[in-house]
Amino acid sequence: MAHIMLTLLIGMVLGVISVASNPSPYFAALGLVLVAGVGCVVLMGHGGSFLSLVLFLIYLGGMLVVFAYCAALAAEPYPEAWGEWSVLGSVLGYLLLVVGAGSWFWGGWYEGMWVPVDELIEFSVVAADSGGVALMYSLGGGLLVVSAWVLLLTLLVVLELTRGLARGALRAV
Amino acid sequence: MNPFILSILLLSLGLGTTLTFASSHWLLAWMGLEISTLAIIPLMSQHHHPRAVEATTKYFITQAAAAALILFASTTNAWITGQWDINFDLHFFPASMLTMALALKMGLAPVHFWLPEVLQGLDLTTGLILSTWQKLAPFILMCQIMPVNSSLITFLGVTSTLVGGWGGLNQTQLRKILAYSSIAHLGWMILVMQFNQQLALLALIIYIPMTFSTFMIFKTNSSTTVNTLAASWAKTPALTAITPMILLSLGGLPPLSGFMPKWMILQELTKQDIPLTASIAALSALLSLYFYLRVSYAMTLTISPNNLNATTPWRLQTTASTLPLAISATISAMLLPLAPATLALLSL
Repeated sequence: MAHIMLTLLIGMVLGVISVASNPSPYFAALGLVLVAGVGCVVLMGHGGSFLSLVLFLIYLGGMLVVFAYCAALAAEPYPEAWGEWSVLGSVLGYLLLVVGAGSWFWGGWYEGMWVPVDELIEFSVVAADSGGVALMYSLGGGLLVVSAWVLLLTLLVVLELTRGLARGALRAV
Repeated sequence: MNPFILSILLLSLGLGTTLTFASSHWLLAWMGLEISTLAIIPLMSQHHHPRAVEATTKYFITQAAAAALILFASTTNAWITGQWDINFDLHFFPASMLTMALALKMGLAPVHFWLPEVLQGLDLTTGLILSTWQKLAPFILMCQIMPVNSSLITFLGVTSTLVGGWGGLNQTQLRKILAYSSIAHLGWMILVMQFNQQLALLALIIYIPMTFSTFMIFKTNSSTTVNTLAASWAKTPALTAITPMILLSLGGLPPLSGFMPKWMILQELTKQDIPLTASIAALSALLSLYFYLRVSYAMTLTISPNNLNATTPWRLQTTASTLPLAISATISAMLLPLAPATLALLSL
């Protein structure tokens, strides 16, 4: 299990590097798909299967699809993939950074341990992932209201920023 | 802007900072910071010209990166210590990450590079909100995580005062001058925050009226460069006479109120047995003082020539409210004799 988790986490870091190395948005979205997918599997390995499902549906199936369509509006004839020298330079740089950070933290800087969510299930009243969502609707009502307000605010902010079609620097294509 | 949208944005700006002030959980504090970032974005780009949109984009990217780092640090702290409560001490590693993230949020050196460019792209009112209100929430979080990693905090503080002084020396644009002034003042606040949070709060409470007055004065004169200030002697002679007091108060010159926080901070630093840091901070204030003096020279101490139309304007009564500027200018210039009362009120 530890080997699977290690492989998944390495895959996640490689995916993050593939996004951060600044390729064309198509390929960056592909990298994001990899990161989110692997992240969901990591989350499942820790027992948060419900949260993993919600993340897959909403993030990958909703937001990333919308982003892919928006990126398609700004398509270019010769997109920069990870084979291009400019992107490859960034990839190598970030790989070096990861190796450096890994060697800095080698030997354990933390005193804690991996504790999967469902391991304490005999000592818990609610499962940590779906129970948390249920709590948001009962005791955590205030946080639910604040979160809903933030989402509404984000909508209003985006609408205000893109209002006016052709005027200003944010133009409708 | 549509008045409903404007009210929603301003209220959300208030909500965000209030949420951060009132929270004892790191997640809620982070949410408050994100709400205030989101709410100010349309305010910054409301004039829709490329300079403002560029400033908005830069602001959004830096603040989002800082907020992500705050979330990461608090999650790491929860992983290590099992605590989400702000009142509990942080583990040293997430504490350093949090400090750097909050420094990026506030605009402390060496992560200050976004502040002059962002402030330059905004109009004076939005710049005022950015310089005063947006500093409150990260400041209060910084106060609550003290004491952490003394060398990092001292490094941030001293670098900020030096960068704020040296960076402002070559500026002719008033908004950039005020940006470097903000960096220097925040440096002073950070320097004393590890020893005495009340003095840091005092520095912030004195800094806000001073910056408010400066922005309001520049707005009244509709000037964004030092050269255009040269016409204010004919338009508003009273304001022209008061402005050097405000600017030199920003520079920390006695007997103006700006001297109060610097005096108390230097005293505290000496009591803590770091006189070298105190001397470096005091000498860096000299650098800032030079460019404040230059602005007051251009505005007040020189009666600049102009054509007949500009030297004899009609001085009609303004429809804008003058009370806020009057109050803040009085506070900025004349609060020093009330120093004992102010300090007593702040010992919460």
